Amino acid sequence: MNPLIIDSHAVIGVGKTWDAPPRWVDYKLEALLERSAEAGIDRSCVMALHQPFSESANRQVAEFCAKAANKLIGFAVHNPQLEAGRLRPKLNEEVKSMGLKGARSDGHPTRELLDVVAELRIPLVYYPGFDEYPGPARAYYMIAAAYPSVNFILPHLGVYRSWQWWGHYEAIDLVKRFPNVFVGTSSVVSRKYLDMAARELPAEKVLFGSFAPVLDPRVEIHSVKLLRLPEASKALILGGNMGRLLGLA
Amino acid sequence: MGSRRVTTSRRTFLATSGALVAEGMAAQWGKGSGMNEPSDSPSQRDLGRHRVIDCHAHVGSSRQPGTTEELSAPWDTVADAEIILQHAREAGIDKTIIFPIDNINYREANEDIARMCQRYPERFAGFCRHDAETEEHGTIRPMMFHEIRDLGLRGLKLHTQPTAEILDVARDLGIPVLYDSNQHVELFEEFLPLYPTVNFIAPHLGSDQSQDWREHLLAIELAKRYGNFHVDTAAVVLTEYLEKAVRELPAEQILFGSDEPEIDCRLEIFKLRVLNLPKEKAELIFGGNIERLLGGWV
Repeated sequence: MNPLIIDSHAVIGVGKTWDAPPRWVDYKLEALLERSAEAGIDRSCVMALHQPFSESANRQVAEFCAKAANKLIGFAVHNPQLEAGRLRPKLNEEVKSMGLKGARSDGHPTRELLDVVAELRIPLVYYPGFDEYPGPARAYYMIAAAYPSVNFILPHLGVYRSWQWWGHYEAIDLVKRFPNVFVGTSSVVSRKYLDMAARELPAEKVLFGSFAPVLDPRVEIHSVKLLRLPEASKALILGGNMGRLLGLA
Repeated sequence: MGSRRVTTSRRTFLATSGALVAEGMAAQWGKGSGMNEPSDSPSQRDLGRHRVIDCHAHVGSSRQPGTTEELSAPWDTVADAEIILQHAREAGIDKTIIFPIDNINYREANEDIARMCQRYPERFAGFCRHDAETEEHGTIRPMMFHEIRDLGLRGLKLHTQPTAEILDVARDLGIPVLYDSNQHVELFEEFLPLYPTVNFIAPHLGSDQSQDWREHLLAIELAKRYGNFHVDTAAVVLTEYLEKAVRELPAEQILFGSDEPEIDCRLEIFKLRVLNLPKEKAELIFGGNIERLLGGWV
């Protein structure tokens, strides 16, 4: 039996993209499932778009997951600054009652958020925007060291669309330094940095992510398949690692 | 997610700097004056297969000594032809159009391109590159006539706003102009009506690495209004706009390009292949159009 292919990073529902200026979009369940199926993806980790109403957005994500339980794995999204003081009950409910399996921090993670994430033993997706930090290194050094039991997922190999290319170097260095930092593969348009990550990092630390449907999952998975790696390593990247982080294995 | 437009933009990088770092590369290009005869692939034509041509790649090293950008970014340092050749072979690309990376002036860089085309006549065709805002101002006509007529280069690559001087020469030579307007596709409006016989190519569907999705929309609209305005597909990250372009534009105005070696042509071509284009459209986009723009001389 072939190992599961798990997309570690997809978005769903109504909300704003991260473009400048943002686009209001409505990413439908059916469209995501169709494109992901064409890409050969078995499960997608889905989370809300960029938007201020986390509770309703996370509930919507949970509803999508209930509709396609064998295809979707839901993540909760929170802004630790805007929601300060309210994160513990919210995340506990979303994980324990609504069945969400991970979290994304829209903003620099605080102790409040990280304490709950650590207690719940869920992975945390965090992409530090270049508005706040000059690159992912400075954003990650303290949190990764202070919370060694939290598994952090740094999407886009550290920099969306490869524009600030040095962010890819920083991401690779972060993964080498911290056993609890993993990188996602989506949007690396300068693929040479993905090749670099595959050469220099243990396959166990790299997670296939598509950022669908903002990006085309068929293209994003092809980028991973182009890596010159043994099939066993590719299988880890394409799903084995994420399954382990989610406790599916 | 959350990426901002950097203040040190690629355009800023592209406008300056750089010393020669790849003498080894220069050596492998071979010596000589770089006369580049028109080449063709008759064997493939005889087989009836349309050639796949990547219209957008960079080769060479920068010569921008003493500037702050020198050796500060990939496009201010070196672009290795061997990487392009390897990727293109794996991607099923027959030929790649190459032009220089950033330089202060382009005489030597264009000669390097001509030498590279001479070394790999079946794999590369070259465009010259110029910058009308630098010391090249006033000397471009004789340089370009030499580069096109003597060195065998086939078109012009620009990364700074064109002037009448430079476009007059392109018109007189009958060559296409690939101009990266650095997220300002509206600039094309200034000269498209004035040069109706010049074929322009806006790379990246108007926005390198999809930095601004509005530029993709504007490029599509410009292509609808001007028959001599074309787009290339290089490094479009938000592929829904590629799908829109293919859906709404005549296939004759869309050209496959990659921006190798920074951007991997194996993935760039896959972005188009997954669209399952009808055969006639695919043949135009994957090579027929650039062949036509070059008068079959590629």
